[in-house]
Amino acid sequence: MTDPDTARRDVEEFLKKIGALREEIGRVIVGNREVIDGVLTCMLSGSHALLEGVPGLGKTMLVRTLAQVMGLEFTRIQFTPDLMPADIIGTVVLDETADGKHVFEFRKGPVFANIVLADEVNRATPKTQSALLEAMQEHRVTVGRTTHALEEPYCVLATQNPLEMEGTYPLPEAQLDRFFFKLEVPFPSREELHTILERTTSEAETHVTQVLTREDMLSMQALVRRVPVARHVRDYAIRVLQATHPHGEGAPSAVNRFVRTGASPRGVQAMLLAAKVRALFEGRFAAAIDDVKAAARPALRHRMLLSFEGEAEGVRPDTLIGDILGSIPSSKD
Amino acid sequence: MRAFLRRFALWLPLPLGYSAAALALLKVTTASPGAQRAALGVGLALGALTLGMAVHALARRPARWAGSLALDEHHGLSDRITSALALLGRPESERTALSEAAIEDGLALVERLDPRRAVPVPIPREFAVSLLLGGLLLGVVWFEVRVTRLLPPPPSFEPLVMAADDLELFSDIAQRMTDKSDDPDSLAAIRRFNALVEDIAARRLERREAFERMSELEAELAKSADIDREARELGLEGLARELQRSGLAKTAAQALEEKRLADAAKALRELADKLKKKGQAPSKSELERLRGAVERASRQSGERLAAVEQRRRELNDEKQSLLKRKSQPGQADKAEAKLGENQRKLERLERDQQRAERAARQLSDLDRQLAEAAKDLAKDTQQGAEDINRSADELDKVEKREMSEKEKRELLERLREMKELLRQQGQAGQERMKQMRRFGQRARGGGGGGDEGEQSGKPGSKSGRGLGQSTRIEQVQVPRIVQVPGGSAGGGDPKSGGDKGNEPGSGVQAGSTHDDHLAGDATTPKGETHDVSAAAVDTGQGSASAEVIHGAAERGFVGKAYRDVYVDYQTVAEQSLEHDQIPPGYRFYVRRYFQLIRPRE
Repeated sequence: MTDPDTARRDVEEFLKKIGALREEIGRVIVGNREVIDGVLTCMLSGSHALLEGVPGLGKTMLVRTLAQVMGLEFTRIQFTPDLMPADIIGTVVLDETADGKHVFEFRKGPVFANIVLADEVNRATPKTQSALLEAMQEHRVTVGRTTHALEEPYCVLATQNPLEMEGTYPLPEAQLDRFFFKLEVPFPSREELHTILERTTSEAETHVTQVLTREDMLSMQALVRRVPVARHVRDYAIRVLQATHPHGEGAPSAVNRFVRTGASPRGVQAMLLAAKVRALFEGRFAAAIDDVKAAARPALRHRMLLSFEGEAEGVRPDTLIGDILGSIPSSKD
Repeated sequence: MRAFLRRFALWLPLPLGYSAAALALLKVTTASPGAQRAALGVGLALGALTLGMAVHALARRPARWAGSLALDEHHGLSDRITSALALLGRPESERTALSEAAIEDGLALVERLDPRRAVPVPIPREFAVSLLLGGLLLGVVWFEVRVTRLLPPPPSFEPLVMAADDLELFSDIAQRMTDKSDDPDSLAAIRRFNALVEDIAARRLERREAFERMSELEAELAKSADIDREARELGLEGLARELQRSGLAKTAAQALEEKRLADAAKALRELADKLKKKGQAPSKSELERLRGAVERASRQSGERLAAVEQRRRELNDEKQSLLKRKSQPGQADKAEAKLGENQRKLERLERDQQRAERAARQLSDLDRQLAEAAKDLAKDTQQGAEDINRSADELDKVEKREMSEKEKRELLERLREMKELLRQQGQAGQERMKQMRRFGQRARGGGGGGDEGEQSGKPGSKSGRGLGQSTRIEQVQVPRIVQVPGGSAGGGDPKSGGDKGNEPGSGVQAGSTHDDHLAGDATTPKGETHDVSAAAVDTGQGSASAEVIHGAAERGFVGKAYRDVYVDYQTVAEQSLEHDQIPPGYRFYVRRYFQLIRPRE
């Protein structure tokens, strides 16, 4: 057992760093506080996020800024139907050494970075999309007989356009489940648009500075993992998860009607980890039910698969999650 | 407590709703007491169930951390208290630095907590339904269902009404009898009779009640039945017969035979005095005869009883032998006839025996004294005289008893008269009452006699017994014949009676048929009448009876002369009623007539 004062100091340090991070990001990114926190949550949890929004909302800018302020390596992959797995993973090429020998050398693809932006991920074929799976899940890439570990922290931030479905390959359920959060990037408000225009159409260029190191990020990730979760909070998260399944315990009637498959256990893991991050964001030492509630929508919305009836009715998973959160009491006998 | 209230609020509508519905149903329908009890039982059961459910909720263990979560929620602490408590529950070895920090953080907040505000006990919203139903129940309770029930009309009190004149008559009788009597039993009976008359006068009695009381009094007075009197007379006759054998006791025997008990007692006392006086002492043979007569007289009741008993035994023996003969062939018919005769004789003897026993019982004291006298006369004349004196005293007692019984009989008679009067009045309802009133008016010579006579004569034309029957009656044949016009029920004063009243039978026809229920000859359609006459002797002193009657009609029934005439006439009338053949229905009217015209003070 370590000293609680140390822990308190760690949390304070965490808050400071997050504060600095937010401030620096805020210099470039206008608004989108929830998306920024969501992405940060994913990164601090050591996971990946799926960003959904129309083009031009600053998704790439956000990811690039994050990488800059954290001093992390950043790559961007524009997914297209003809994109091959080797294009993102890398390939073995025959190379001539200085002494004239020919050797096979592995040329790393764009997945070899700390932050990978997989732009319009649903435009690539499932074969290419699945190439990303191993990297996302295992944080390593196998080419031939050689496995290449990806450098930590590793975070894939994929984007997809919700409007243009023509010629796209929707992500399979298994791949969707690997995303920690699915974040919806909203259209900026009028005030935010004013600020964006002001910043992007003037002479002044905004530069961000690095406020975190890679080590800071890793230690912060470690702190997140250490945040305790009381049983009642865990219990609540489990009950929420159960309620996402049609005819599951505590499932509201809307879920029974409109949901085909509920969230996998990865959903509850995501909720708890996100709850821990949120507790730290708020300077608390333990996760709370409110944190679980806050994490429920981004963690579960892409894990609940709607039934035909649900899709026909245009039911949004967020609505169903709202029903679930409203129906489950904080404590249970 | 919240759970208790909530559960209570959830279940409360059930008993309330049921109570409102059941009460409404019970109010609008007529449920049997059993159904009412059942409804009440169900209501109570539902109430108990509600309370039970609420208590069950109270007893149930609340959800873990429910209290701390409520505190966190109220204070906006994001589960810091709950998490601290939960982490505190972990073993120390499992606690991390962050866990410890979380616990300390939670504990640091404890002082700021306000559980009362954090976990208030709100009134559950569900109570709104109960409130509504409670209001409904109150409404039902206050709601009055008017049920029209036809109740039987209250029993109307119709007092028995008797004419003031009649009341006065019976009151006078009671007063007269009270003045005359000194026997406590008689006085008590007279008081009861008087109270009855007073109650009728004050209209305190209904017809049924009055008759009930009259019957009670009648039954009481009838206790001293004629059989007692007969038995006593029989005993006294036997006594007189025996005493007559002695010349000394002849006077007393004569008085006894004529039932002059006071004279008999007086004669016995004189005899005792005679025996006491030494100078006038009777001869020995006379004394012996007297002693023998007295002795036989003292024994005669017992001997008669013994004779009757002997005869009964003989007849019983005869009966037994006849019964045996009856069973023999050929003798049955004869024996049967003799048995019937035997039975009749036995029954007669039964009555004789009863009478003899009663006589012996009533005269037992007298017999004993006479026996004493007979015994003492044989030894000491003086002592015997004393015994005879005591026998005279006993005879006085018997006389007194007889007087008392006489008074009671008279009272009984008057009571029966009153009963008959009331019975006659009520026999045919109001019409009969009117008739009786008219009769009363006319009997007293009231005005309008002619008119009344004409009206009441009409029904009489059919049956021949109407009150206004135009029968001319010469009531009393006196030196100067007085014709009383206006029908049999008293023609009344010619002056006040009106023209029609002065014309005998005008407008009235005799009945043409005969009522079988009436005794006597049928009324002759030709209008032939039987004259009734009574002879009287004119002494030449005072007014003639006719004049007295005329005067009484004018001045009222007062005065000594009228009283004398009334007594004469009533005596004749009573004798006629006693001896002549008079239709029973008419006896009442004759007596009633004399009641109404009786002399007044």
